[in-house]
Amino acid sequence: MPGKSPWKVAAAATTIVLLAAGCSGSSSEDTEVLPNSISIGIAEPSSLIPSNSIESSGSQVLASLFYPLVRFDANNAPYPVAAQSITKDKTNRIWTVRLKPGFTFSNGEPVVADNYIDAWNYGAYGPNGQLASYFYSRIDGYADLQSKDPDGDGPEKASDPKATKLRGLKKVNNLTFTVTLTEGFVNWDSVMGYDSFYPLPKAAFSGDGVLNKDFEQAPIGNGPFKMKGTWSHDEKITVEKVADFKGTVPKVNGITWKIYQDLGAQYADLVGGNLDIETKIPIENLASASGDLGARLGRTPSSAFSFVGFPMYLDKYKNPNVRRALSMAINRQEMTDQVFLGSETPATSFVSPVLQGAKSTSCGQWCEYNPTRAKQLYSAANGPKDIKISYNIDGGHKAWVDAMCNQIKASLAINCTGVGLPKLKDVLDRVKAGEDVGLIRLGWTMDYPLMESYLGPLYTSDGSSNYYGYKNSTFDSLVRQGSAALTKAESEKLWIEAEAQLVRDMPVLPLRFGQNVFGYSERVTDVTMDLYQKVDIYSVDIAG
Amino acid sequence: MSDLNAVTTAEAPATDAGKPRGLAGDAWLDLRSRKVFWIAAALVVVVLLMAAWPSLFTSADPGDCLLARKNAGASGGAIFGYDFQGCDVYAKTVYGARDSVVVAIAATLIAGVIGLFVGLAAGYAGGWIDALLSRFIDVMLGVPFLLGAIVLAKRLSSDPESNGVVAVILTLGVLGWTAAARVMRSAVISAKNQDYVAAARMLGAGPGRLMFRHILPNSISPFIVVLTILLGVNIAGEATLSYLGVGLKGDAVSWGLAIAETGPYARTAAAPLVWPSVFLAATVLAFIMLGDAVRDAFDPKLR
Repeated sequence: MPGKSPWKVAAAATTIVLLAAGCSGSSSEDTEVLPNSISIGIAEPSSLIPSNSIESSGSQVLASLFYPLVRFDANNAPYPVAAQSITKDKTNRIWTVRLKPGFTFSNGEPVVADNYIDAWNYGAYGPNGQLASYFYSRIDGYADLQSKDPDGDGPEKASDPKATKLRGLKKVNNLTFTVTLTEGFVNWDSVMGYDSFYPLPKAAFSGDGVLNKDFEQAPIGNGPFKMKGTWSHDEKITVEKVADFKGTVPKVNGITWKIYQDLGAQYADLVGGNLDIETKIPIENLASASGDLGARLGRTPSSAFSFVGFPMYLDKYKNPNVRRALSMAINRQEMTDQVFLGSETPATSFVSPVLQGAKSTSCGQWCEYNPTRAKQLYSAANGPKDIKISYNIDGGHKAWVDAMCNQIKASLAINCTGVGLPKLKDVLDRVKAGEDVGLIRLGWTMDYPLMESYLGPLYTSDGSSNYYGYKNSTFDSLVRQGSAALTKAESEKLWIEAEAQLVRDMPVLPLRFGQNVFGYSERVTDVTMDLYQKVDIYSVDIAG
Repeated sequence: MSDLNAVTTAEAPATDAGKPRGLAGDAWLDLRSRKVFWIAAALVVVVLLMAAWPSLFTSADPGDCLLARKNAGASGGAIFGYDFQGCDVYAKTVYGARDSVVVAIAATLIAGVIGLFVGLAAGYAGGWIDALLSRFIDVMLGVPFLLGAIVLAKRLSSDPESNGVVAVILTLGVLGWTAAARVMRSAVISAKNQDYVAAARMLGAGPGRLMFRHILPNSISPFIVVLTILLGVNIAGEATLSYLGVGLKGDAVSWGLAIAETGPYARTAAAPLVWPSVFLAATVLAFIMLGDAVRDAFDPKLR
């Protein structure tokens, strides 16, 4: 009897080791694969409704099902795709969108102006709770679609919003509509390249402004691919080519989006030939990836930006010198070289240098590694002796958070611990509750190729992702003036000034700018990825 | 009835010719001649020393990690080289003994106390109390260890800033007492029917005196054997839970954590994974061998 228990533990431990090594081959034996189709690994999308899309996996799938109004050229200038033309008035306030004729949704419905107006109204209507709703906030009448809770989170129920339709959207004829903004914005056409500006077919709605409950399980889009079957949660999403597509026709006949929980398991499938494209090689496998994949390991620039935010609501981080000292205590170059093996680059500015006009060294001396100066500054400012860095475990951040803590410990002779929480939501919940979470690990990918995409949502007082509570009226007004400027050059100039204000305040520590490091199997060729961490589904082809 | 008793009592004194020796004395004599016992005991002593005074073994600080030394080979005091974060693998392994051993000892104590009282009560009282407690033990044994441990450890360590030591101790303690309780119960049942117990009862001893003066000392040895083995099992259990991410965390240093952290990099740097694994395996083995040797000594019939 007593002899039994150790073996039980040993048997259990063996199972774990096998699982961890990715030896459980059962999941990869798929049902029949379409001829000329490929498989791409993603994480489980949080949503497949365009106006609810805020993460890259969902966005990647939507990009195959939908055809955007505009896309961006190599200089990040927008050009019309589903739109025939996009024109604006002199004040940059009223924009006219003309659609290309002849396009249909994959269910046969023609694409008309109403499809855009309905979809955007649905996304902007507050009670629908769409996470990408803030993209519509520049459209006239957006505020009237939001309900106001009279007592914050209290028991009283929020009243219904004043309106259900955006005042600023007007149909001119079947293929033309106008968008009126609250304030002129010279770059509005770039914003319309984002997911939330896709159209939705009539079939998506069961009533006026009511989306079909099941629509998300098999979205119908105006893109080059259509759903084959429905979304198999945590398993896969299969799409196949639309016959006679009027726009750019992709080269492959179908794509299977395979859903993985773990990048390591995904990598094992890629090397084992069960997966065609992995969009992010995990850092644990970087060292062996060039040997495993050879020329099939690709690198392209991405707009990803990694940083840690300071909880501005805590007194101990209020002194800007404490924040500057911590910034100088970190050796960014060593971290990208040793932990990321050069797959990311040190960030010494707040706006990614992939954007024209952004300076890569705008952070200046505060982002340079200088442990002596950091220590002096830190002790003079009487910084906290014990700091924490909160991160989410599911994102593979532990290795570099530990490395960053070790650097801070070595430079400032203080104590530093990484606090891992299961998901980012858990970290943000603690921030919302005003708890002492220490530094907050965060990341950002731009939504449209404008400097504003790195400034507005992250640091303005009412920014949608300003979790740490940075408030500066000078900064707010510079960002707003930049958006309201009449020319692109003028708005760029004002946004650079806004960034300079961030350098003075250091509300976050810029750490790294990302790169797409992806791998692909011998079956596929011409694989490339864009700044938004998406595979170019139009160029990818079957090898040979 | 009385005839039968007469036979057993007559047999007992016949075995001992010289100095009178107790059960423990016999066992010790037997143990002294076993190589396995000495090897296991030496390993256990080394691990206990490591846990109590890690600075005896290394002067390096396990928290002193520099990226510049990433995956560097052995040098100076760092005889096992450096890991991915540039920490001294030898120092981390030595310091890792403390949390592993503290967790194992504390969890075993909890399991021991629960097992002792449940086993004693079930075995001595018999009847419906025994039936009830035995079924309860069956139910506990029916819970798959890993499932129960993951659920419990997750629940107990909801505070993300604790290092998880208390949660793991409670988890392993609460789930690990069943084997000990069963052994205790059967030993008590066989002891309570012995003549000396009947004699003590006839002389007017109460249940408390009977249980703790007469039955317990004569039925404790198999129980101690189970606990010795349980120490090893608990060390493995802590490593398993830490590996799965529900055990120790934060600034705790343990073998399980080291294995979990270095596992993904094993293809490029194996040493940081191998050494804590070797220490873990050796320690678990040492406790199990020690338990087996002690059992054989106490109970020659099992040999």
